[in-house]
Amino acid sequence: MKGILYLGWRYLTYHWVKAVILISSITLILFLPAGLRVLVQQSRSQLTLRAQSTPLVIGAKGSPLELVLNACYFSSKVPEFIPYGHVEEVLQSGLATAIPLYVRFHAQNHPIVGTSLDYFDFRDLHIAVGRQMSRLGDCVVGAELAREQGIQPGDTIISSPENVFDLAGVYPLQMKVAGILAFSDSPDDAVIFVDIKTAWIIEGLAHGHEDLTRPAAAQRVLKQQDNVVIGNASVVEYTAITDKNINSFHFHGDPAAFNITSILAVPNDHKGKTLLIGRYKADQATRYQILEPDTVLDELLATIMTIERFVITALVTVGISTLVIAALVFMLSLRLRKREIITMTRIGGSRLAVNCILVSEIVCVLLTSIVLAAGLTFATARYAADVIRFFL
Amino acid sequence: MKVGFVRVRIVLLMLGVCCMVSCSPEQEKPRPGAKGDKTIVCTVNYPLAYFAKRIGGDLIDARFPGPIDEDPAYWQPDTAAIEQFQKADVILLNGAGYAKWMEMVSLPTSKCVNTSAAFKDHYIDLVAELTHSHGPAGKHAHGGLAFTTWLDFSLAAQQSKAIKDALVKRAPEHTADFEANYAGLEKDLMALDQEMKMVAAEIKGTPIVVSHPVYQYWTRGYGLNVQSVHWEPDEVPTETQWQEFRKMLVGHPSQCMIWEGNPAAEAVDALKAMQIESITFDPCGAAPSEKDFLDSMQKNIQELQKYIIQDSIKE
Amino acid sequence: MIALKDIEFQYPKSDFQLQIQALKIDSGQLAAFIGPSGSGKTTLLNLIAGILKPVAGLVQVGGREITQMQDSVCRDFRIANIGLVFQEFELLEYLNALDNILLPYRINPALQLNAHVRERAVALARDVGIETQLHRYPQQLSQGERQRLAICRALLPDPCLLLADEPTGNLDPANKEHVLDILFECISKTKATLVAVTHDTGIVDRFDSVIDFKHFQSVGPVSVKGDSR
Repeated sequence: MKGILYLGWRYLTYHWVKAVILISSITLILFLPAGLRVLVQQSRSQLTLRAQSTPLVIGAKGSPLELVLNACYFSSKVPEFIPYGHVEEVLQSGLATAIPLYVRFHAQNHPIVGTSLDYFDFRDLHIAVGRQMSRLGDCVVGAELAREQGIQPGDTIISSPENVFDLAGVYPLQMKVAGILAFSDSPDDAVIFVDIKTAWIIEGLAHGHEDLTRPAAAQRVLKQQDNVVIGNASVVEYTAITDKNINSFHFHGDPAAFNITSILAVPNDHKGKTLLIGRYKADQATRYQILEPDTVLDELLATIMTIERFVITALVTVGISTLVIAALVFMLSLRLRKREIITMTRIGGSRLAVNCILVSEIVCVLLTSIVLAAGLTFATARYAADVIRFFL
Repeated sequence: MKVGFVRVRIVLLMLGVCCMVSCSPEQEKPRPGAKGDKTIVCTVNYPLAYFAKRIGGDLIDARFPGPIDEDPAYWQPDTAAIEQFQKADVILLNGAGYAKWMEMVSLPTSKCVNTSAAFKDHYIDLVAELTHSHGPAGKHAHGGLAFTTWLDFSLAAQQSKAIKDALVKRAPEHTADFEANYAGLEKDLMALDQEMKMVAAEIKGTPIVVSHPVYQYWTRGYGLNVQSVHWEPDEVPTETQWQEFRKMLVGHPSQCMIWEGNPAAEAVDALKAMQIESITFDPCGAAPSEKDFLDSMQKNIQELQKYIIQDSIKE
Repeated sequence: MIALKDIEFQYPKSDFQLQIQALKIDSGQLAAFIGPSGSGKTTLLNLIAGILKPVAGLVQVGGREITQMQDSVCRDFRIANIGLVFQEFELLEYLNALDNILLPYRINPALQLNAHVRERAVALARDVGIETQLHRYPQQLSQGERQRLAICRALLPDPCLLLADEPTGNLDPANKEHVLDILFECISKTKATLVAVTHDTGIVDRFDSVIDFKHFQSVGPVSVKGDSR
């Protein structure tokens, strides 16, 4: 048997181009439906898990899917904003805890999530290294992101401008990393968390600058009217919040009117959930919508399953064609090896050995393809979560 | 055969151990507010800590992490103090813009309770002023809202009610205790309120000057005629300050200066020479060195009563 | 060594018939079959090897009657006792020279490949002068080197009989002599019997006995009686 396998292996390595083409083709037609199935199953369980752990999402009326994806998975598509004051309204109802989310900004390609400390209790996130954020400008980083970028407590992260050409808009803020979260196997591992107020600073709704009432700042003062001091364009705004300048930071406007992208509503009980949903549904004129993420995701998953069925049907059809062609290639190969067969038979090769040598080509190709397809499927299963998060 | 039997026994034993380990009950996570767990309450000033302690008693651990020698309204907590707040089960806020540091820190909003939310429509707006500096807290301005709400004892009672409601929500199994304790505190605060009203009735309309603009709710709550200067108790007023004071007295001929702390003797003497009595009325934002909130307020009222008696003797 | 008696053979759907009354080749003899194409030389070689089975008659090789053997037994006997050298060399292009030599030991469990066999293969290659080419593939060797390689493959099992069908048919004159020298030298060392089919009358003098098929018609019965020289 060893001799037969050796001869089969030598044949394949000599005709490696043919072998590689055959193995690649068969591997692909085996892997694609399996891998797709695994990806869809993993997507389904990941999405479902995250959605089921999020009772209610409140946001502006519009695309439910966009809102849920932004709130649960921090997708880069930003829904329409709602005022922060609505968080207080939900809290005042006494029916649920309201957790604000402002998922709009990025540091390079990594989402910055503005929220409150309640979010960490809700998602059961804990600090693994360092401490929780305490002041404006602090941030905590997800475990995966920290590992990839080599981020440690004490490092700084700079937010990215939304638009390079909009100089008067969102400007980069240097944030201090207070801590790194423990791994949670969720989208929370790949984002940067800041206090909602820090997110507003990034937006430009709050800033810090030198004290214009000091005599030393006289050249920066445009005019002073009554108790109002108006600075000119030379006033320098701080791009980092430090112990020295934190007290100079102040908000302009009423925070109740400031933007957020959504509210995670955690009902106190089932009755509270029903009542809360009922209030929004009853008010046709409301600018808000309330969603149960698992219901929204179910619709998405149903669509994905339908598409999956079509794709797998197509893949199976292509697969059958590929296998037919592979069979033709094997038949032609056997024909080309006829003389070799005659020689081996003439010099005394056993019928079994000769047949095994011929079949070994087919077996080796198929086995290698199956092993590769299995390996790729396993790798897909292992890294599907990361792939899904990347595309979300 | 014998070896095989021994192997079977070992495998069975290992399986049994695995079953026992997997069947052992999970260690229960301590339920917040469960019997035996003290609710941790952090407050932004001493009065709220006092109210919480009176209502919660031994069932809670009420803390005000601020320093004794600093006005809590302008205190800047360090990271350790902020962490204390973050780890608390209930965070009691005064409201009305008290503790500006709140805007600069991250706290779990679900645990924050604005004790003055019930009367937020009746906050007192202050005229905006330029900044000035004094004391270890550094520069600040008295613009925005007045925040010493507890000096109107009826409002203090409302704040206490908010604290009671928050504790009941947090630990409903102790509702009876909280209600009973709150009833006692409310009784004491309304008694203070009644006493203060009687004193206010005696001095109704009498011009009073206060050393610092921190008595707005007391003024409004008891219908007093008050104007304010910006003097520190431990500092002797400057000549400019005296000049402004004399200018103010022209339209507001007060014979009484209320200090928020023990005034400098030189200032007291100077005022006495102007026929102005000095009275200490401690707002009690920070913890008093000897007495508690109730005792301090009773002492404040007694000081006023003493002044009224002396004033009436003079007349 | 080789004894044929009353052999009758005919290819299916062919008029060609081969009849051999008797043929005997003793051990250690160097015998040559010569004659025109289609006269039955290769057919006789294949009958002796057991590749073809006669319709009637007896073929004995090395004292064993192979006509009555089952195919599998016949193959086992052939691979262990009969070496075959072909005009077209019939080397496997995807195996290097050493693997080509070792081929018989990989295609039949009757032969066991071990270190001793590998050493013998290298020694054979050294004997025929291709020791330094063992890593090369057949298409990288000259015609003469390929035929020498084929000879090594045939001799590796130490057969008692070597059957060579036109061993020098595809070689140029210089290589022809060289390969023949090597062939005879190897045969003399192993004391095997050599039966070669050849068109080349110039080399028949080197053989002990020559069986000439030219006197017989290409179509019709072919008879060989004893030693025809």
